[in-house]
Amino acid sequence: MQTGAGEQAFQNYVLPELDVLYRVAFSITRNNADAEDLVQDTLLRAYRAIDRFDGRHPRAWLLTIMRNAQINRVRRKRPELLRDPDTTMGRVADESADGEGADRRLLDRTLDAAVETAYLDLPEKFREVIDLVDLSGLSYLETADILDVPVGTIMSRLHRARKRVRDHLESVGIDAATTAAPEDQ
Amino acid sequence: MIFGKKPGGISCRQVAKDLQTFLDEETDDESRRHRIAEHLEACRDCGLEADTYRAIKGALAQRAPEIDPATMERLRAFSADLSDDTP
Ligand SMILES: [Zn+2]
Repeated sequence: MQTGAGEQAFQNYVLPELDVLYRVAFSITRNNADAEDLVQDTLLRAYRAIDRFDGRHPRAWLLTIMRNAQINRVRRKRPELLRDPDTTMGRVADESADGEGADRRLLDRTLDAAVETAYLDLPEKFREVIDLVDLSGLSYLETADILDVPVGTIMSRLHRARKRVRDHLESVGIDAATTAAPEDQ
Repeated sequence: MIFGKKPGGISCRQVAKDLQTFLDEETDDESRRHRIAEHLEACRDCGLEADTYRAIKGALAQRAPEIDPATMERLRAFSADLSDDTP
């Protein structure tokens, strides 16, 4: 079905994006089984179309394929509005605490907990954009593409979402600016 | 806030409007990017605001859980199978 060059292109362009594809799929579907299914669907479509791919912006190309695959899936299924907010993608990495920097970590955990609370309180449409940009590392354009809304909408949702998180931190008396030092990481 | 002064040649208000886009590295206009960076260096209030959003972004990004290795294994196997189907 695929030429040698196609095989090579699939290896070069698609496989390195597997991680991102899964994270994005999870952001969209909110559960592991559907996310895996959607990635498989995307891989299959990408494999079939690889000969027509010009090699530029593989991630954007794959996300467009994923979006189309998702639209198809939603059509096939009944629109499922109920999503389980408690579903988690997997295990959260263990943190080890030891002597030096323990205070900093405690402060960080307070910040993390407050951010988590605020995040869970966000409307689903806001959380989705946070997941795609802050967790999966997509650009505004890529996020707009996968959700099929204008870039301006992405910016507005994202910025408002972070502002809400910021307001929550303020309301519980956490000064994020002095709590976390990004350069520590 | 330094009243009457505009570090970097832009006002605090303009910086506030563009701050998150700037922190996301999505500010396309290079000269605007430089002006915002300059402003953040010089203006304490806006600098703190930037630190706040950096911390929030950082905390949100940290939420990214590890993907179950078994899932990735299956997806890699699925990819390999696609290739194997070639006659
Ligand atoms: Zn300022």
